[in-house]
Amino acid sequence: MSFLAPLFFAALAGLAIPVLLHLTQREKKQIIRFPSLMFVRRIPYQSVRRRKIQNWLLLMVRMAALALIVLAFTRPLLNRADVPAGGASAREVVILVDTSYSMGYADRWARAQAAARDQISKINASDRGSVVLFGSGADIQMRSTSERSRLQATVDSAAPSPSATRFSPALKVAGSILAESTLPKREVVIISDFQRNGWRGEEGAKLPEGTTLTPVAIQDSVDKPNLSVTGVTFTRSSFSDQQRIVVTAGITNRTEQKVSGGSMTLEVGGLMVGTKPVAVEAGSSASVVFDPFTVSGRNTRASVRLSEDALAADNTFNFVVSPIEPVHITVVDRGNASSALYLTRVLSIGNAPKFETVFRQPDAVSDEDLRRSAVVVLNDIEVGDPLAKRLARYVEQGGGMFVATGPRARWPQDVDTLPATVGQPVDRTRGDAARVGGLEYGHPVFEPFRAPRSGDFSAIPVYGYRNLTAAMGAQVLARFDAGTPAMLERHVGRGRVLLWGSTLDVSWSDLPTKPVFLPFIHQSIRHLAGYAEPQPWLTVGQVFNTSAVAARGNANQRVVLTPSGRRLPLDDEGTDVLELTEQGFYEVRGDANQADAIVAANVDPAEADLTPMDPNEIRAAAVGGDPESAGTPSAVPLTPDAREKNQRLWWYLMVLGIVLLGLDTVLSNRMAKA
Amino acid sequence: MAAEVHAIPGARFMDPAVLARIGNLELVSRAVADGFINGLHKAPYFGASVDFAEHRGYVPGDDIRRMDWRLWARTDRYYIKEYEAETNMNFSVLMDVSKSMDYGSRGITKFEYARILTACLTNLVHHQRDRVGFVAFDDQIVEHVPPSAKHMETVLHVLDRLKPGRPGNLKGPLHKLAEHFGRRGVLVIVSDFYDDPEAILDAVSPLRFRGQDLIAFHILDPTELEFGFSDAQPFEDLESGEQMPVVPEAFREEYRSLVRAHIDALTRSFAGVRVDYTMLDTSKPLDHALYKYLGSRSKMMRIR
Repeated sequence: MSFLAPLFFAALAGLAIPVLLHLTQREKKQIIRFPSLMFVRRIPYQSVRRRKIQNWLLLMVRMAALALIVLAFTRPLLNRADVPAGGASAREVVILVDTSYSMGYADRWARAQAAARDQISKINASDRGSVVLFGSGADIQMRSTSERSRLQATVDSAAPSPSATRFSPALKVAGSILAESTLPKREVVIISDFQRNGWRGEEGAKLPEGTTLTPVAIQDSVDKPNLSVTGVTFTRSSFSDQQRIVVTAGITNRTEQKVSGGSMTLEVGGLMVGTKPVAVEAGSSASVVFDPFTVSGRNTRASVRLSEDALAADNTFNFVVSPIEPVHITVVDRGNASSALYLTRVLSIGNAPKFETVFRQPDAVSDEDLRRSAVVVLNDIEVGDPLAKRLARYVEQGGGMFVATGPRARWPQDVDTLPATVGQPVDRTRGDAARVGGLEYGHPVFEPFRAPRSGDFSAIPVYGYRNLTAAMGAQVLARFDAGTPAMLERHVGRGRVLLWGSTLDVSWSDLPTKPVFLPFIHQSIRHLAGYAEPQPWLTVGQVFNTSAVAARGNANQRVVLTPSGRRLPLDDEGTDVLELTEQGFYEVRGDANQADAIVAANVDPAEADLTPMDPNEIRAAAVGGDPESAGTPSAVPLTPDAREKNQRLWWYLMVLGIVLLGLDTVLSNRMAKA
Repeated sequence: MAAEVHAIPGARFMDPAVLARIGNLELVSRAVADGFINGLHKAPYFGASVDFAEHRGYVPGDDIRRMDWRLWARTDRYYIKEYEAETNMNFSVLMDVSKSMDYGSRGITKFEYARILTACLTNLVHHQRDRVGFVAFDDQIVEHVPPSAKHMETVLHVLDRLKPGRPGNLKGPLHKLAEHFGRRGVLVIVSDFYDDPEAILDAVSPLRFRGQDLIAFHILDPTELEFGFSDAQPFEDLESGEQMPVVPEAFREEYRSLVRAHIDALTRSFAGVRVDYTMLDTSKPLDHALYKYLGSRSKMMRIR
């Protein structure tokens, strides 16, 4: 019901005046202290009572009469939708079915399917139904149809996915379906186990006004044993030139009962390498440490598996192990030990990654050296034309090159690879030494020095540097105080070149003796080598950048093999990002149909926490809190006749009010006479 | 009696509310009693006294010590000298100091009125050389000043200190006092008599039975008689604290008739046991009470 002139409701406030007066007077009324109520007590009390009730009656009649008249003035309007016959109760029903892997717990999925079928069976010929399966995302399986059989088939063919529960996307999808609907009644049914983890009180998951939201909770009263693997950690060690890894798996028992008697196995490369017994107290965690195994090749698949329990999906944890591969570096210098002393020392430190350095004089750099090396360091040398051309080709094919320019540095003019042309030396031994500033902290090389007190380049005196003039497409990463570039980067082909305007020994600057030297060189080499910490596993729902792993392959012919065996071709349009939707191992295969990369995908361990929530919390957020008012169907435009019909209520209210006023007169007259 | 009272010159009818404001009981009582005594200082009966009254002829059996020998010498007849009476009686005021007495709607509470009345009576009696005593009671005996010719000051002092506090009950204290007052005398009971007439009678009977002359002053506030409230309000009993919603308009008539019936019943009951009963309302000057007392007193002392 709505009102044409709701402002008249203000007049209702007037009704309160007699009541307020009555109440305040009653409250202010003083108690009269009287010597003795001996005589008062003897007077029959009933007469007083009756008189008071009669007054109340009069008051109520008067107030009711006034209220009715005010109500009549507000012109109440009945929102009775006069839709065509048979359509008055037509419903748009969206059935949201939770397919997160926790629905695989015990017989939940069977019950969820039964509940969905039950809801579908209620859909009439005039209604329309949609089935949306949701986990971390929502997928419209069947949209707005009256064919119950198709909806049933959709539900029958659905199965729990390895994703986690997120209610918000599902509600948004349901909202979009309902928003497009023209039917008067809108309903959303959520069939889920309503895990606490799936709802964070999201804003924006609002359903259209007038929507009814019916939660169907699929929950268990019996607490069945369930263990979940929360993750693995590795401890690496070297044993006679082979890397050995000790795997430690974390297990959580979120149920109320102790689980024992089970076992956990470790599989590496498809072979079982160890089994350990498992016993976890109720509501606690444990870890299982396996014996060390040797990692022979890159991208070795490994899994830990728990024995079967009520929820199977969280029993397996996949990961990929590789022996840590060193970054091969070729340092080209004059063969003078002192000039490369600091560089040698710095590159001999480090485990992740380890640097394997070979030193060559300019004329001794072989093609094999360049093929093996991820980075070439030119340490203040004169580069001849042939070498420059080879290096240019090397960089274009994806290699990294670090160039330090001292007094001897020279690069042929016609080979356009360096980020700057190397000019005349600048001598700053007299007067103030030059300082380095204007660092590009957003660049990976200088990013570690971004925070305060994490390395100060401006404190390093530089007594000599080469006058650099930035080339086209080069980025200046640092400058000397005179404004000339101190450090530049340039992308050439698929490789990168970094140019440092001074030396890497102490002849021209104090940089090698300063604490920033080591991180500076390590960061530069890592950046040039494109080194990234390998990720042993990802979680279902995360995305994987396929371009990062297969950088040197032919991008056009790559395919991704999913755990279920599907082949997803990676087109050349640039969709290098792959969303992980299955639990298991994804393979990225290059042109030779060999695995370039293997990605282990695991279910979200948070989903294994089956703690339920109150479904009304979602209902309150989605339909505005009041479950009663949510059932009102939305208005459909009315014909003028129907509108007039719906407004006629004021007439009855007015008559009733006047009748009550007459009754009031009669009553008060009679009471006055009495 | 009333006509006689009004004829007396100099009798001052002071508003009790004005008297209540004076505060000094002795002053008040003296002001009232002295003015009052102006015309009444002479006792209307004879007795043993130093004040000569008249001669009468000797009859056998008269005490020959009282014979006027000088007159015999002159007239050769026997005359007996008669003197104004010295009463020497015990006079006690039994004052109700229960909580219900602490009520007043016209500037003076019943308690204050009773206090002034007591002081005036005490003063008056003391002037007549009677022994004065005083008892204050509620449901127990609160103060007790035994009758004595020297206790006038004490009585006034005690009166001054009194405060009404507890709920009252006539029966207990009066029965106890009946044991105490061995010697016959005059007892004045000042109370608002909020009890059933039978119960009140039951309370005073032992006193009467022992031969005490009783005078009952029933003190009521005009509001208690008229019930002049207009708004419907809750009423609280001063003594019990009980509260009741009351619609005075509906109650008034019934209330008045009940009070009248109560007073009538008391008048009848007291008359039946020869107790002088006077209803006083606190708006009336105190002189009324004093006249009433003296009237009663003269009735008691059989006039010669």
